[in-house]
Amino acid sequence: MLADTILVIDDEPQIRRVVKNALVNEVSSVLEAGDGAQGLAMANAERPTLVVLDLGLPDMAGIDVCRSLRSWSAAPIVVLSARHSDQEKASLLDSGADDYITKPFSNLEFAARIRANLRRAQASQIAASVQPMQIGSLVADFTARVLRRGSETIHLTPIEWELLRTFATQAGRTLTHQQIFNAVWGRAFGDPQQYLRVHVANLRRKIETDPVRPQLIVTEPGVGYRFELPR
Amino acid sequence: MPQVAERRWTSALVWTALFLFATYIMAGVQGEITEAHVALVYLLVILGGSSGGGRALGFTLAALAFVAIDFYFQPPYGRFEISKRPDWLVLIAFMATALVATQLLARANEKAREASRRAEEIDRLAALGAETLSTGSASHALTAIATVVRDTIGTDACEIWVRDGDMKKPELAARAGEGPVGTPPEAFAGVENPDPRTILVPLEVHARSVGMLSLRHHEAIALDAGARRFLSALAYYAALGLERVRLVAEAERAEALREADRLKDALLASVSHDLRTPLTTIKALAHDIAGDGDERAATIEQQADRLNRMVADLLDLSRLNAGELPVRAELNAAEDVVGAAIQQVSGAFGGRELRTSIAWSEPVLVGRFDFVHALRILVNLLENAHKYSPRTQPVDIELSRAGNMIEISVADRGPGVPAAERERIFEPFYRPERSTPDAGSAGLGLSIALRLAMAQGGTLTYQDREGGGSVFRLGLPAVADAAMDALAG
Repeated sequence: MLADTILVIDDEPQIRRVVKNALVNEVSSVLEAGDGAQGLAMANAERPTLVVLDLGLPDMAGIDVCRSLRSWSAAPIVVLSARHSDQEKASLLDSGADDYITKPFSNLEFAARIRANLRRAQASQIAASVQPMQIGSLVADFTARVLRRGSETIHLTPIEWELLRTFATQAGRTLTHQQIFNAVWGRAFGDPQQYLRVHVANLRRKIETDPVRPQLIVTEPGVGYRFELPR
Repeated sequence: MPQVAERRWTSALVWTALFLFATYIMAGVQGEITEAHVALVYLLVILGGSSGGGRALGFTLAALAFVAIDFYFQPPYGRFEISKRPDWLVLIAFMATALVATQLLARANEKAREASRRAEEIDRLAALGAETLSTGSASHALTAIATVVRDTIGTDACEIWVRDGDMKKPELAARAGEGPVGTPPEAFAGVENPDPRTILVPLEVHARSVGMLSLRHHEAIALDAGARRFLSALAYYAALGLERVRLVAEAERAEALREADRLKDALLASVSHDLRTPLTTIKALAHDIAGDGDERAATIEQQADRLNRMVADLLDLSRLNAGELPVRAELNAAEDVVGAAIQQVSGAFGGRELRTSIAWSEPVLVGRFDFVHALRILVNLLENAHKYSPRTQPVDIELSRAGNMIEISVADRGPGVPAAERERIFEPFYRPERSTPDAGSAGLGLSIALRLAMAQGGTLTYQDREGGGSVFRLGLPAVADAAMDALAG
């Protein structure tokens, strides 16, 4: 894992230092860029495995840096934001960011989130191809549509199957309501979208041990959900 | 009243002339007419005279007619003698009829004049009232009132004094008249005025003294009943005018305050935002140092967290005050928000027991509310429960349906809220009386929570817990089961 290179795009040297300190034991090198233009140039030249992007850049809107990066790079983008607007977070995720961390954050939390994103980037292709899939104590066979916990078979509705598949194949990633809806219902708009959260609640009741202390489907308030694959 | 007197003299002359003319004509044809004809003609003249010249003229004409009938139209003619007894009867009946008719007519006339004077007063008052309440400038209306009072009562000057708040000395608000400004009236309501050349009228609105109207004249002022009535009506308008001046000033002050408030909110928002970046650095560096084993660094990190929460609270309060905190009411599962709240407080609760009571066999409870705001409220309730109750006791969350609301209650076994403080717990900057200054954030949590609940059509209430402790109930608008039946599987 020490082969990873992280690029930090932030105009505040103190924040760059904090990020560097938090990651010093996690990755082989941390590159620093002070503004959006420099960040994009360095990303192009160095091909980092992951980009940490601050939204308050002096020269470019964070969301534009995000779109620009995503147009040619598959590297995970983790956004740092002091703003608490959830719509903003959701629109960032919708335009290609993989995760966001709200300031102020602790080093532990930050390092954990970076690790999760690095791991997912490497593992996502493999996870989707393995059948049947092991999800904690659950075994899900998406082709046969059979879900088991030990000897017990759990019945899921067609929509719950699609939800579980969407979550499981993108485990570790924060998915916005819109992204989940697009994946499950296709690119359609209208009434079913508002029932998404009710379906998630029903799915939780079936697959979580304690639905109000979910271990698998974690709520990202105002943004969407994140599926955590137990190790 | 000179015009009235003049008119009276004219009509006295006219009707006396008519009387003489009628007497002359009738005396000429005396043989062809009876007493009844004469009496009727005279009655007509008397009524005309009393209607035009008043009671006195009517009585005078009646007396003249009495003499004329006796002298010219009753035998023996040309002498003041009555020969037959029935002639007396005719004369007395005539006299009585004339007197009663005159009296009645005069009274009716007086009533009519009084009525027209009242109508005039009312017209004037109405015009003034409209001006008092509607002209652009309230002080202009006051001046108009002062002018009308001075002109109507006929004094040298009329001044309106205002008593402003607890100001000892009255201030001149409006004035009509010549000469130097009078000295302000020493005292307000209830003072006998020793100087007959001035009249003081206290100005009151809703039994509250707002000022004084003062009339000054170079000689003693005498007022009849009508003038007094008119004056008191005008004084009422003057009082309303003063009240309006006060309200306008108050509104201007409120507008200025609102503007200052808006600036303060904008400043707060920008400061709050800029505070977060240095807080991140402080927290992260403190965390690093704490990792090396310095306990003081851990305290720095905790305090940075606390500061961050206060900044967030202040920011939200200023947004709520400015009406800029958007509410996104969407379909949400109640247990989802409860779960998110439990997750958020799990760090603070550590190993402390947090029990949930949810009917898992029932369908998912769905409401239409703002998820993030509801979460914020629940996290605040849970943190309070944790902070103000013994850690050995569990905190309970219960989820239920109550009519058309979803109820989420958070209950603890703390000391509860004393009855005297219950009204205040939802006020900004409230802190429990016995709490240590370090116990919480800025004391904004519950006031923000209540306003967030109300902003999405919800409720937030406090109740004593049976067996000791507090129960806070968050009510959120539920979605009818019928609507949920439409849910596509």
